[in-house]
Amino acid sequence: MKAFAYVNATNEKEAVAALTGATRGRVLPMAGGMDLLGTMKDYIVSPERVVSIKNLDQTITSAGGGLRIGAAVKIADLAEHAEVKKLYPALVTAAEGVGTPQIRNLGTVGGNICQRPRCWYFRNEEFNCLKKGGSRCFAVEGENQYHAIFGDGPCHIVHPSSLAVPVIAYGGRFRVVGPNGAREVDAGQFFQLPNANLYGETVLQPDEIVTHVLLPAPGQRSAVYEVRFKQSHDWPLAAAAVSLVMSGSTVKSARIVMGAVAPIPWRVQAAERVLAGKTITEAVAVEAANAAVAGARPMSGNAYKIQIAKTAVKRAIMAASRV
Amino acid sequence: MADEQVPEVQAPPRPPQHPTYPWPEKSRLLGTRISRIDGPQKVTGRAKYSYDITRPGMIYGRILRSPHAHARLTSIDASAAEKAPGVKAVLLTIKPGDKVLYPGEEIGVLAAATEQQAADALRLIRVEWEVLPPLATVEQSMRPEAPQVFTPANTRRGTAQEDGDPAAGFKAAAFTVEATYSTQVQTHTSLETHGCVCEWNGDNLTAWVSTQAVHGTRDGFAQGLKIPQANVRVITEYMGGGFGSKFGPDIQGLLCARIAKAAGAPVKMMLDRKEEHLATGNRPSAFARVKAGVAADGKLTAFEAQTWGTGGAGAGSDYPLPYIYVFPNRRRAHTDVYINSGQQRAMRAPGHPQGCFVTEVLMDELADQVRMDPMEFRLKNLPALAPNAMWAKYFPMGAERINWQGRHVTGDPTPGPIKRGLGCSANRWGGAGTGARAHCEISSDGSVVMRCGTQDIGTANRTIMAIVVAETLGLEVPQVTIELGDSNQPFAPGSGGSTTAAAVMPAMRVTAGKARDALFERIAPQLGVTAKEIQIGVGNVIAGGKTISWREACKMLGTIPVSVDGAWERGLSAGGTSGVQFAEVEVDIETGITRVKKIVCVQDCGLIVDLKTAETQCYGGIISGLNYAVFEERILDRNTANMVNPNMEWYHMAGQSDIPEIDVVLVDQPERGVIGIGEPPAVATAAAIANAIRNATGVTLRHIPITPDKLLTELERAGGTN
Amino acid sequence: MQDDEKDVSRRDFFKTVGVGSIATAVVAGVTDASAQGPAAVGPEEVPITLTINGQRHQLRVEPRVTLLDAMRTRLDITGQKRVCDRGACGACTVIIDGRTYYSCSMLALEAQGRNIRTVDGLATGNALHPVQQAFCDLDGLMCGFCTPGFVMATVALLEKTPNPTAEQAKRGLDGNLCRCGTNIGVLKAALAVKGVTRG
Repeated sequence: MKAFAYVNATNEKEAVAALTGATRGRVLPMAGGMDLLGTMKDYIVSPERVVSIKNLDQTITSAGGGLRIGAAVKIADLAEHAEVKKLYPALVTAAEGVGTPQIRNLGTVGGNICQRPRCWYFRNEEFNCLKKGGSRCFAVEGENQYHAIFGDGPCHIVHPSSLAVPVIAYGGRFRVVGPNGAREVDAGQFFQLPNANLYGETVLQPDEIVTHVLLPAPGQRSAVYEVRFKQSHDWPLAAAAVSLVMSGSTVKSARIVMGAVAPIPWRVQAAERVLAGKTITEAVAVEAANAAVAGARPMSGNAYKIQIAKTAVKRAIMAASRV
Repeated sequence: MADEQVPEVQAPPRPPQHPTYPWPEKSRLLGTRISRIDGPQKVTGRAKYSYDITRPGMIYGRILRSPHAHARLTSIDASAAEKAPGVKAVLLTIKPGDKVLYPGEEIGVLAAATEQQAADALRLIRVEWEVLPPLATVEQSMRPEAPQVFTPANTRRGTAQEDGDPAAGFKAAAFTVEATYSTQVQTHTSLETHGCVCEWNGDNLTAWVSTQAVHGTRDGFAQGLKIPQANVRVITEYMGGGFGSKFGPDIQGLLCARIAKAAGAPVKMMLDRKEEHLATGNRPSAFARVKAGVAADGKLTAFEAQTWGTGGAGAGSDYPLPYIYVFPNRRRAHTDVYINSGQQRAMRAPGHPQGCFVTEVLMDELADQVRMDPMEFRLKNLPALAPNAMWAKYFPMGAERINWQGRHVTGDPTPGPIKRGLGCSANRWGGAGTGARAHCEISSDGSVVMRCGTQDIGTANRTIMAIVVAETLGLEVPQVTIELGDSNQPFAPGSGGSTTAAAVMPAMRVTAGKARDALFERIAPQLGVTAKEIQIGVGNVIAGGKTISWREACKMLGTIPVSVDGAWERGLSAGGTSGVQFAEVEVDIETGITRVKKIVCVQDCGLIVDLKTAETQCYGGIISGLNYAVFEERILDRNTANMVNPNMEWYHMAGQSDIPEIDVVLVDQPERGVIGIGEPPAVATAAAIANAIRNATGVTLRHIPITPDKLLTELERAGGTN
Repeated sequence: MQDDEKDVSRRDFFKTVGVGSIATAVVAGVTDASAQGPAAVGPEEVPITLTINGQRHQLRVEPRVTLLDAMRTRLDITGQKRVCDRGACGACTVIIDGRTYYSCSMLALEAQGRNIRTVDGLATGNALHPVQQAFCDLDGLMCGFCTPGFVMATVALLEKTPNPTAEQAKRGLDGNLCRCGTNIGVLKAALAVKGVTRG
């Protein structure tokens, strides 16, 4: 990686000050560093200055019936936290599946949310792809077995955050801080499709960071189901998070979000509508799963992901119903 | 040709000549479980690999490489790099007008005081290219309208080989199977990358190289640098894996030596992971369009195949086919197809995993046609039983251990998305070796040192050497010191082809035996007996009714140690192994995810020296076969021919949770002498897994790796998933 | 892949996003953060102190130098290996405060102030740590290049979970890769060791 100056921000104010005035890419925040250092070693980004934000709020506190989770919380700590396990089991399942023990020990919640895509055209310097300012998406006519089955492009990454999927299912928000102060962004609005933001994946400006994940009081039942090929360490081929508000044994309302299938975590309200007012059975789950993938637009090499995504939704619904 | 050493039809082995130092009738140590003697060095991190070597004044080298698969250089300007901080020397090996034929092809080298400075400076070299259309796939290369990238052509058709009368054979067939099979390109992915530390002392070069062949690498440096062999010393005390890709200095070694000379300082140049994937070799892909015939009684009658594959830019891809089973009438023609990618190198059992996979899946398909159990079908079509062809014995042994009787007919009828299945396969390999020399010293304090310029590439060679020496001298393994991995030591061949045990153990036996005899000669007078009246005991020496300890015996040597040379002799080793493997899998047909639950392996390797480490070799080979079956694949972008997964994130390899239960039965054949075990267990695993998946799901996966996309596609084709 | 500032199409693109601070950001470039907030160090070398296996080391490194590279190339502590350099293979695994980390994915200057445990510090003289002994006895190694990483992962696993189930052990080791295929022996070793206390 290229040489850079390093700033150790010990609080939000310092972090924002160090990032203020930065154009995209010249000054970058670093949480755990798992993702940023990888992109730097591959010369995908080469900031002149790196601002460490790993020492910002690392606490998890009760707030409004839910939890306020510092973005600097390590993924391992999130997964082991008693209140998180009690209230947000889907988030714990997702956290336990992130990477490997070493990655979970170093990586942070905020880092997982804000990490860059794994797309191998994005990550290989030889390909000057759209997201890097080039003129084409190489996946379209290339090796797209791990790319998106939803969205209209022009970039076909899948968003890599495992944690974002249940956070959105739980109706979470992100607290964002920048030079103009703090704001809260609905997690479902935080991620941006490529036709709204080609060079990044979120609404964050170059001088803003996520400081907290704010989770409201959860519904009664929730689950995440992730499908991975390698069981030891792999990116999911598809994932689904389901959060249910129940009325007796029927579903009052549902939030269903898919991961690893689109450039953003993919909420599927068509599937949610299938569940509303119903008692969950396998047949109902299958119907909802079919609805979830009805709008899929596979690429030349990834139609198989539709089946996997469908299965993830079905099994997440079944798992949530058994909670 | 990968298969030269093993004839198709197994003749019984010749009776061994009488070696001067035969293996003992009854072994004390051979065949027992003995821990690796270099274990403590490795588990403490004290073992120094080439990557760990530091030399006074050492600087760091980096190679400049082509980013393009096919391009012509229009200009290159290294002036900014030459002036960059810390840079000591820059050498370009390309000039305008030259062409490159694969991504990562070497075009220059520089050395700088730190790794960071070297990396920074490399990026200051301005290179301009005329990018030319690349060939990224065999299909592209084989098209008549493909641009001619290679000379004389993009493909090279071999002569067809024919045996018997295929036409008659097909006439005699009651059933035929016609199908196309394929296997992928694999990269070796040694954990220690290729590279070396080169240090000049005047005209003498010492190189600490991650290599499987210290002598071969020494010769490679001498030839490549045009200096005498005697001026070169290659040292490899420990190395972090080679799997066939590390036999010489390669381009990076020669560049390292040259830049070290130019810079006037020792240079360390270890490749990074991306370079390792691109430019240090691979297992070629294999394709086969096959037609095979079987009679109603289950006897194979005919085999015909058109095969092809790619070994990259201008390199071959042949493999043995058909594999093991007796097709009395056969015809096969192979075409090498060249593409713009890194060139192939021997990779763990070259050719055999490919040939085994194609043949074994075909065998299951043929077995289904005649409605025979796949194992029974195989037993019916094996070559005659022989010490190097024991499948007829091994299949039933393995079958019992995996509960083959419980196997359902193809397509698990159990309701639900999880389907279980069993599959089997057979393997053979050569593993004969010759030519090692050694030097043994016995000192007056009882120390024993055995020197041999062989390598321990992770195979436990060091340990089995010590075991043979200890066995011969009546000692325990910790009393023997093995020195290896230095080209200044007596010659031994490179560690490839599973030939090392067979090449080196006889040299150990002979040299230790000669040392023992020399000891007896020297001390006989002091004991008042003739040398012939002295016998080796266990930790002692028996002379004319008197027993004295080893130490006491050696003390009689005085100041002059025993110092003898010895060499490999015929009669202590052999070639030709056989084995079978069974796999049990669980397939989730709603996700296409396969989990391998258990592998059973029955394998021989002649005389087993260390049962513990031989079993570990089997585990390792099986795991590599599992990776071949479901995980690994070198993936090129089909439009640019750049590798899209040159890392350990997307070049998938099994982790701990992906490893099945593995049950290994090693069959000792002490009468045959020592035979190698490194490659045999790596051959058949993928085929067994593919057949197990077929048994579980009812669909035939003819193309590996069997990733979820392939499985789901086949399930859909067969009538949908749930 | 240099600055995106020069790419006109990108600047136009940003205008469409419509958030106020963009405009100033594009024009002003990188402001001097020392005017407000903590000072930046580097990019040239800075003095750091690393405590490795209980020993303090003082050295100068650029901020971009990873903990792994500082150990291996500056301090000649070569037990942990550089294999993938991307946090995918575990050969560089170290233990800090009982947890494992990929030292290739940590900056050396961020590893200050805590004791970093590597394989080099596990044995006491010639007395192997029980995990090291188990790896030797149960042959959980071949070429040995992944072994330092696996040993550290196993030590951390057992210090936290002294009697793991096979599933727990596998999960604890899932961050390490072995190309020789020694996983069978490694798992046996991890399950065989009893009575590991925090070092």
